Amino acid sequence: MRLYEFQGKQLLKTANISIPKGGVAGTPEEARKVAEGIGKAVVIKAQIWKTGRFKAGGIKFANTPDEAEEMARDLIGSEISGTKVKQVLVEEKLEISKEFYAGVIVDSSREVRGPVVIFSTQGGTDVEQVAKESPGKVGRLGVDYLKGIDSSEADGLVSRAEVNTREKELLSSIVSSLYGLFVKYEARSAEINPLVLTKDGNVFAADCRITVDDSAIFRHPELGIKVAREFPREPTPLEEIAYEMEVGDYRGNAFFSQMVEKIEGPGYVGYHGIGGGGAILGVDALNRKGLKIANYSDSSGDPTASKVYRLSKVILAIPGIEGYLLGGFIAANQEQWHHAHGLVKAFREELAQKPGFPVVLLICGNKEKESHVILKEGLRDLPIRLEVYGSEYVYNPDFVAGRMRALVDEYRADRGVRP
Amino acid sequence: MTEFKERTITVTIDDSVCGECTTKACVTACRIYGRGILTLREGKPTILLTASEAARAGTECLACEHECLLRGLHALKINVPMPELDKFKASLNTRGEERREYS
Repeated sequence: MRLYEFQGKQLLKTANISIPKGGVAGTPEEARKVAEGIGKAVVIKAQIWKTGRFKAGGIKFANTPDEAEEMARDLIGSEISGTKVKQVLVEEKLEISKEFYAGVIVDSSREVRGPVVIFSTQGGTDVEQVAKESPGKVGRLGVDYLKGIDSSEADGLVSRAEVNTREKELLSSIVSSLYGLFVKYEARSAEINPLVLTKDGNVFAADCRITVDDSAIFRHPELGIKVAREFPREPTPLEEIAYEMEVGDYRGNAFFSQMVEKIEGPGYVGYHGIGGGGAILGVDALNRKGLKIANYSDSSGDPTASKVYRLSKVILAIPGIEGYLLGGFIAANQEQWHHAHGLVKAFREELAQKPGFPVVLLICGNKEKESHVILKEGLRDLPIRLEVYGSEYVYNPDFVAGRMRALVDEYRADRGVRP
Repeated sequence: MTEFKERTITVTIDDSVCGECTTKACVTACRIYGRGILTLREGKPTILLTASEAARAGTECLACEHECLLRGLHALKINVPMPELDKFKASLNTRGEERREYS
């Protein structure tokens, strides 16, 4: 889960890493007030989860509060790199002397499998590019997670910076603090780029990118993150509800994301995939048959039946869907009978009052036959249009999507809906 | 009445009718699909675990309820709470959206 720059900077501040004076603003008027409080030239930065904001027009400069308000008005509500800007960060403009990079990442390569601290004497640009073009500028330090980083190691890492002794001590201290923050917040990465040395000899985190491990978010309520998924928008109420079932429960996954926040028109079905890649085949096939998915879901990794039940209930709660497709386009190793039990309970509760509702279930792999028996027995008295398919159709998404379309058409005819 | 909790669910058994059940399908299902935490005692399903043991050992497979419904006497119910979803659906009802379908 990536934090916004302003959120990351608040964490840096708690770790005693200096950040520029400023504040976040949701309106042009708020931006003006922040600029007035700063009392000098400011930079206005769109708060979006995208890199390359400057080139995309997401970072602007202002000399006066009037200008700051005007720039914020341009940014807030605009779309930058496909993302709508809801907030801007207004900060003092720094008098830059030198720019560095400091970061902690997780190196998952077989040789390392642990945190690596990186320091570069060239900041403000992509550190990987710098390492490629000028390897002498970039130092790396693999850290033993149990021991952490000591001050002599941090000193060694920043020693290549051509600055005076006091400034080196500052940089070293920041590297150590950044590593401490990385551990405390269970981050996947914590980067400051650029780390700026100002003309008056102070060091500030001018920009940062901190990504916290999704699975650790529930241990950090102080971060105020409702849903640990990087949606390009605020989560919907159903996405928040679905995420609740994942919090702290590692027994398989039950992903749920809505493709549209509100269904406006016919042709949407609830989509419940099993196995991410294979499930996409089903989405493509549905699109070719003129149907759209109201949501994308995936329950894999051997979730409990209760988790499958909850996911199915959330999907069925989407207003306006015309059918339900379980797209298990993969011969899964997980014991599929848990899916069967979860689905039966959810459908019995939700579809008894929806006569003719189309349900197509493709469920293949381990315990497939038993699962089909559970589904057919458990749903036989429901007044729905039910079709259950297995391994013989696992590589035939076109057929499965075609059956979904046919049942949706029948359901529409029942209700006098024009196809 | 027997009631026990697994990690996120509550299983309730109206064992006053279980004596009449000829299949005891819930106990069989628990062995097949779960960890066999349901057991027969004096002809009725029960659980011989402490609350913390049940919470840890239960796999929330829902199979006992399914089997009791199909082959038993409808005596076993499982509550899988989703209070926020209930609130969401209630709000749709208020706005008349739950039954919204297109014509």
